[in-house]
Amino acid sequence: MSLRNEIYKTLGFTYRNFIITRRNFFTIFETLFWPVIGLISVGLMSVYLELSKEQFAFILIGAVTLSILQVSQLDVAYVLLFDIWSKSVRYTFVTPISAWNMILGSWLFGVFRGFVAFLILFVASEVLFRVNILISLPWLLLFLFGVFLSAMIIGVITCSLLLIFGYRAEIFAWTLSAIFMLVCGIYYPVSMLPEVIRALSYAIPLTHFLEFYRGFYGFKTSFENPLLIGYMLSFFALAVLVALYLWAFERARRRGTITQFSE
Amino acid sequence: MVRDFKLDKTRFVDAVKCNDVWMIYKSLLSEKVALKGINLRVPKGEIFGLLGPNGAGKTTLVSIMATLLRQTRGEVEVLGFDSLKDAKEIRKRINIASGNPNLIWSLTVYENLRYYAMLYGIRDRRIVENLIKDFELEEFRNVEFNRLSTGNKQKLILARAFINNPELVFLDEPTKGLDPPIAKRLREKIRTMQRERGITVVLTTHYMSEAEMLCKKIAFINHGEIVAEGTKEELKQMLRMRDKITIETDAEIPEQKFQNFEGVFMVERNENSYTFYVDSVEKRLWDIAKEVANYGRIRNVTVREVDLEDVFNELAK
Repeated sequence: MSLRNEIYKTLGFTYRNFIITRRNFFTIFETLFWPVIGLISVGLMSVYLELSKEQFAFILIGAVTLSILQVSQLDVAYVLLFDIWSKSVRYTFVTPISAWNMILGSWLFGVFRGFVAFLILFVASEVLFRVNILISLPWLLLFLFGVFLSAMIIGVITCSLLLIFGYRAEIFAWTLSAIFMLVCGIYYPVSMLPEVIRALSYAIPLTHFLEFYRGFYGFKTSFENPLLIGYMLSFFALAVLVALYLWAFERARRRGTITQFSE
Repeated sequence: MVRDFKLDKTRFVDAVKCNDVWMIYKSLLSEKVALKGINLRVPKGEIFGLLGPNGAGKTTLVSIMATLLRQTRGEVEVLGFDSLKDAKEIRKRINIASGNPNLIWSLTVYENLRYYAMLYGIRDRRIVENLIKDFELEEFRNVEFNRLSTGNKQKLILARAFINNPELVFLDEPTKGLDPPIAKRLREKIRTMQRERGITVVLTTHYMSEAEMLCKKIAFINHGEIVAEGTKEELKQMLRMRDKITIETDAEIPEQKFQNFEGVFMVERNENSYTFYVDSVEKRLWDIAKEVANYGRIRNVTVREVDLEDVFNELAK
């Protein structure tokens, strides 16, 4: 196994997602339109409610994180969906790629799109609402990387569900991130959630990344070191989910799902 | 223990070996047996035909050989590698093209080939350029897949199948739905590529003429079982059918008349004619014609050798 070959295989998926995004209006729309609409509507609501500057930042951080997460997870989720929609699944899986080539390659482009979305939202919140959501660069990058890892987690879940349940699971590509955000405290602290759901939210890395970011605006975090907890949970979740994906792939090979996707 | 994947080409003479391969599709409520104990050898460096009616199990078998499907039971060895344990090693050395031309819609000819080249870890862009040239796609280099004609889509699918310089290619009805002139050119291309590169090709097809033109050996599959296997001549001999006599007549001959007629293996009744499948036209023509003449006037007699289509029709019954 040559490392250069593996890198090239991984970049194959980055290349494909880049070309498809460049050529399809709807994917550009996903990066630009919905995040900005989301930010403006939430921002206007916050102005109307006359929220304090800190509360305003709290809400905007939720809106920005949701947008970044949605945009970047789509690239991982779409890596299989593009093939399913064009019925070319067999041509991808007949090549000597591994799960990591697919996931990492598509995620890399998701990171790029997510970063572009963040920059747009940062400028929009500064220009439209005079709220600065920028923290010191190293911490910001660590926060963003955490959100991107969460995007990878959601994307891998979607891909695994697609392999297990077929076409029916495509809906998760658009809904899972919203469900995640609901549990992780998108516009509210998780401490106000019912106990059972709160326990669930603590098991999701994104909860801790959000609390970490909001901590810069004076909000209390549930645990001492949310960033470290977030990263530990992320890597654990990824290890488990990649195992789930590999199991789902072998199951799909046994049941003929891969050939069915190509018919 | 590290597995040694260095390929010793003298190690195997068969590109594919299937031993008692079963495929059973299971769902909550039902079970469907798609393959029933397939035993098959595909010799290296040849075009091997896999023929059979719709739903016979051809695509299932090819998908198992191409590691896209896991057999329920049995062993499959591809290029000396076990299909279950060494799937990734097999995938490096094989490729596939199907008659349903589907690639990513919004990628151009060049982008599609480059993308798949990258998935094989191929950095040399000349390989992509050469394939575009070899398959006469230069004019459509920057045309998106969904804007290509069916013929050009199929050319691209075939070009993609040679991108990793495979030792073994599976072509699953590669000329399905194409206009005859385009289909003919693609068949010639397949033959040329196979000869130039010395690769093994497993071809499934519905077109008997295609199998006659391209395949050295053929296996017939029906209801998930191999019902016959051999060269074209061996298959005809296996069924003892060599010649076909068609007699145009208005005669009404009783069905049982030729049942025990020596050297006659099958009789087909058409609207104004009877077709007799016989072991030898020289031996049987006179007796058959005499018998038919007893029931009515003979207007015309044509004689030709049995072809693969006749063998296929007989085996598909």
